[in-house]
Parts: sequence; structure tokens; C-alpha cells
Amino acid sequence: MSFISNMNESNKIALLPAGLKDLLPSDSAHEAAISETLLKHISCHGYERVKPPFVEFEEGLLSGVGAGLEGQTFRLMDPVSDRMIAIRSDVTPQVARIALTRLSKSPRPLRLSYSADIMRVRGNELRPERQFCQVGYELISPSSILGDAEVILLAADCLKSVGVNDLSIDLNTPKLITTILDELPFGDSERLSLHNMLDRKDESGVRKLAGNYAEPLLSLLRSIGSAAPALEQLSKINLPSAALEHIKNLEQIASLLISGDPTLSITVDPVERKSFEYHTGISFTLFAKGVRGEIGRGGRYNIQLKNLKESAIGCTLYLDTLMRAVPSKTGKNRLFIPADISREISAKHREEGWITIQGLDSIDDIKSEAQRLACSHFLINSKIHTV
Amino acid sequence: MIMIIKDNDGIVLAIPKGRILKELIPVLNSVGISIEPSFSDKDARQLQFSTNIQGLSVIRVRSFDVATFVAFGAAHLGVAGADVLMEFNYNELYEPLDLGIARCRLIVAEPKVYSDDDPAHWSHVRVATKYPRLTKRHFEARGVQAECIKLNGAMELAPKLGLCRRIVDLTHTGETLKANGLAEIEHIADVTSRLVVNRAALKTRANEINSWIQKFREVVNG
Repeated sequence: MSFISNMNESNKIALLPAGLKDLLPSDSAHEAAISETLLKHISCHGYERVKPPFVEFEEGLLSGVGAGLEGQTFRLMDPVSDRMIAIRSDVTPQVARIALTRLSKSPRPLRLSYSADIMRVRGNELRPERQFCQVGYELISPSSILGDAEVILLAADCLKSVGVNDLSIDLNTPKLITTILDELPFGDSERLSLHNMLDRKDESGVRKLAGNYAEPLLSLLRSIGSAAPALEQLSKINLPSAALEHIKNLEQIASLLISGDPTLSITVDPVERKSFEYHTGISFTLFAKGVRGEIGRGGRYNIQLKNLKESAIGCTLYLDTLMRAVPSKTGKNRLFIPADISREISAKHREEGWITIQGLDSIDDIKSEAQRLACSHFLINSKIHTV
Repeated sequence: MIMIIKDNDGIVLAIPKGRILKELIPVLNSVGISIEPSFSDKDARQLQFSTNIQGLSVIRVRSFDVATFVAFGAAHLGVAGADVLMEFNYNELYEPLDLGIARCRLIVAEPKVYSDDDPAHWSHVRVATKYPRLTKRHFEARGVQAECIKLNGAMELAPKLGLCRRIVDLTHTGETLKANGLAEIEHIADVTSRLVVNRAALKTRANEINSWIQKFREVVNG
């Protein structure tokens, strides 16, 4: 406490609340560059940008696919409408709302994309940030599994385009475990414990608790890893027919992805379920070797408003993680232009791709002025020199 | 600042100092891992050690830190007690294998003189413990609010010297409890050491990590 009371005036202003930060020029440019490249790729595939507001009435954000986000969402009273409004903690519910209302008559499949900051009440161990940027896209009402493949392959293309090496795609089917547990005679509390144990991949816990029913669950826990051996293993497990449907989906999507891009590294984890609360079909998590945490995730889910019910597939990429995964291209093309140079000349250099830093005072030592302003080059007598 | 995490392609195994280590060494040997000699040199200041296996190194850290190193991906594999895993409850950790070593129990204890204390009557308890989060969750689940005083050791002193009445701690034989006039009043969990794996490591290096899990599994299952 004494730290705070001794804090001087300027540090008091500098301190930001937990999980929030200023991105300074180089980081901010890095984030913007990644985001632009991603969006360019996404829009080339016909996904059109939408821009929902940062806050809206809580019903819109916290129902449908947003149900379950209450604990993560800031809410405040709107003095104008006297209703509760919420700051988005995820963009998917907003895109779903747009698709189901204003764009309900637009032809399907509908392809929408966004780049948006979101705000969460709490960070977690790997992402303490409470505000961060998500770039994402949603394919609404795709008719076949080709839609799932499109969304996942596009994610891989996007990430390659920004320079993510050693991308790894983990394929999941979050409803599988629930489907299997539905067939087993466990009460609510045992089910919850089993779910927790499976989330932690705790074999011995599952063996103890599930007893005679443990076998298929243990086999699933051992079918995690590279796609080919994992799917081979999965095909041997004796599962109820409803569960086999999920496995068949996994096999299909894996083979579509491999034929779509044979260089992809694909893993399968049929037990993964966490953070896929609203997903109903194939889901996926994106990792890169040597990068802490996920760089993105997505999957198939249902959206519904009254009688209008549609299936959708989405993908979200996390810019904060991507910034750590991708090297920053720092400005090597900053050209210092002395004050007496005409606007036409500096415009010509900008057209050639230079970032021009215009001198505003007449200066004798142009080189050291260029250096002082972090320029890589400077202009003397119409010639470009290196600093 | 932007940092690119260097991937030097080696696998790092985090193992705890102290109690667990003694029982762990024979397991590692059976798995075929032997650590360079300086590991057993008590005066050495080295923290990371090479092994007989190319590309596998070992770090020795405090048992609580094993979970943290592995959760953040600083180590790919680790050995940690179930007590530590329950305390942190990290999402980024998997615990695929119970090694069955360093067996003990996590319990609530209080001085024997309170033998007429009925836990069913509690609404609020003050507890000294190394495990504040786990303790809070445990009591919350039974409708009791726990105010935890975090200590890093010598828990048994807390009731004796009037810091608070109850403790949540590990016990092996119960001898230390008895010697300090404490009695176990509640059993929270049985504890053994687990092989833990970083989530992203399992997904990005599935073959390597799976083959290590399998090697440990074969040893544990005999």
C-alpha cells in the first residue's frame, strides 16, 4: 500500500489496470501488419468484413452462442435506455446476431469476417491480457463438411502468410465424450468428475472412477497424437453408434485437410472439450511449435433465433499470441527529408515505398538529425544515403 | 517487447527437489534416463542437467514450480505431486500418468484438545496451509468459507502457537501431527506423483511426447 501512497504524479497516470497495456509504435505497427495480412487473405476468400459495436445490450451478447460468457463479461447500466449493456468478450455472438437478423435474407452460405478488440473480466495463466485483438471469420450455413475444411485450410493459409512456422492443427470433437457418457450409468457428480479427469487426461483417475466402463474412455485417452496413428487407434474402439458418427467426421475432415494441404501437421485429440462450450461438431485448436499457448481456435456450432436455426463454422485468431509467434519487421525504410525539399519529391519517394520523415527546421547536419529520428536513410542533393 | 520463443528442439523434463526426488530416481533409471553426475553433487550451482539421452535435459526446481514451468511451456514434461496440481489447477497441463510414488495424504488437522469440534457446524474456518486455493475450493464445496493463511512450511506450529486452529497439509505417517498434538479431522485427497505434460508440447510434438509417456507407462505398469 505504501508504494501507492508514495507514487509520484506521473507514475500514477502511467499505471494501467491489470491486464491492460499500451502498444507503443513498433509493437502497434507489428500488430497492425499481422492483422492487415490476415484480413487480406480472409477477404480474398470472399469473407466480407463486418464491424459490430464494442458494447451492446447484454441479451445480445450473452444468449445463444454467448450463453456461458457471463462470468467473463463486463456489464454496466446504460443511463440512456435504463438497460444493462455489456462489453463484448467474444465477437462470434455478435456475428451470429447479424447473420440471424439484418443479414437473414442474404444468400447462404454467408461469409463474414472481423477484426476486433475484446474485453474480458479476467485473464488466465497464459493470457493475462484482459483486452486483446481477435481476427476471425464465420461461414454461416455451409451445407457439407467441405465448409469445415475450407475454414480450417484458410486458417492454415492465413497463418503461413504472416510467417508462422511449424503450425500444428489439433482436431477435436467436443461432443464425443458427452455422447459416450450419456450411454453410461453415472450420476451427475460422477459425470462431472469424469469430465474433469478426462480434461486433465488423468488415466488412473478415470480407471478408478469408471470401473467396468473405463475401457473405451481409456482407449480414447490413448488415441491422442499425430492424425494417422490416432485415427487408426480410434477406429478400433468399441463405441456406441452415436459416438461413431463423431469419429467418422474426424476421419473425413482429417483426410480432406491432408489432401488439401499435404504439408500440414495434424493431430487428433478426441477428448479435448474445454473452451468448446457452444461447439457441436468438428472443432480445432491451432498451435505452433515453440509458441506458448494457442494461436487460434474454432469449430462448428449452431445459431438460433426463434424459428431460424442455422449451422455455422468459425475461426478466431489471437493477435497477442501471433505477435509473439511472428518476427516483427522493423522499419528499414525510413527516409529523412530535409525541410527545403519540395512536396513533389517527397511524394515521389513515398510512391517508391519509402516512409518519409519530413524535417521541419533547416538543419546543418542532416545525417545526425536522421539518426536522432531513427531513420534508416536520408536525402542530400536528391541522393539517398544510408545512416 | 516482442519476444520470439526459441525452440532449441530439446525436450526439458522438470523434476522436484526433496521428498519426491528420492523415489523418482529409480523410476527414471528404469525408463532409461540417467542424469549427469553433477546432479547429485549438493554443492553444485547448476540447475539444468544433461542426460544420457540426446536432446533430453532435466531441470531441478521446487515441487510447486514444476507445475508452473510445465504449464508455461518452459519445460515439456515434469513430475509433480497431485497436491501441487490441485492447488494450481492449470488448464495447460495434462497429467496422463500416475507414477504411484511419494504416496501421502492431504488432510485437515486441528489440536486434539478440540476433540468435540463438529465439522458440520462450521460456517467459517481459518486455516494455515501451503495450499490456499485448494483449501478454499475444498471448503467452499461443502458450504464453508475458508480464510487461508499462507505458510511455506512448519504448518504444525500454527495451531500450537495460536496462529489459527486448523491446518491443511500433507501427511505421510501422521508422526509429525502426533508429535505436535494434532489430530486428523478430515481427509481431502490421496496424493501421489504424476507425470505431467505441457498441452502445446503434446500437440506440436505429439510423437516425441507420446513416446515418453509410453516409456513411463511401461515402467509404472511393470
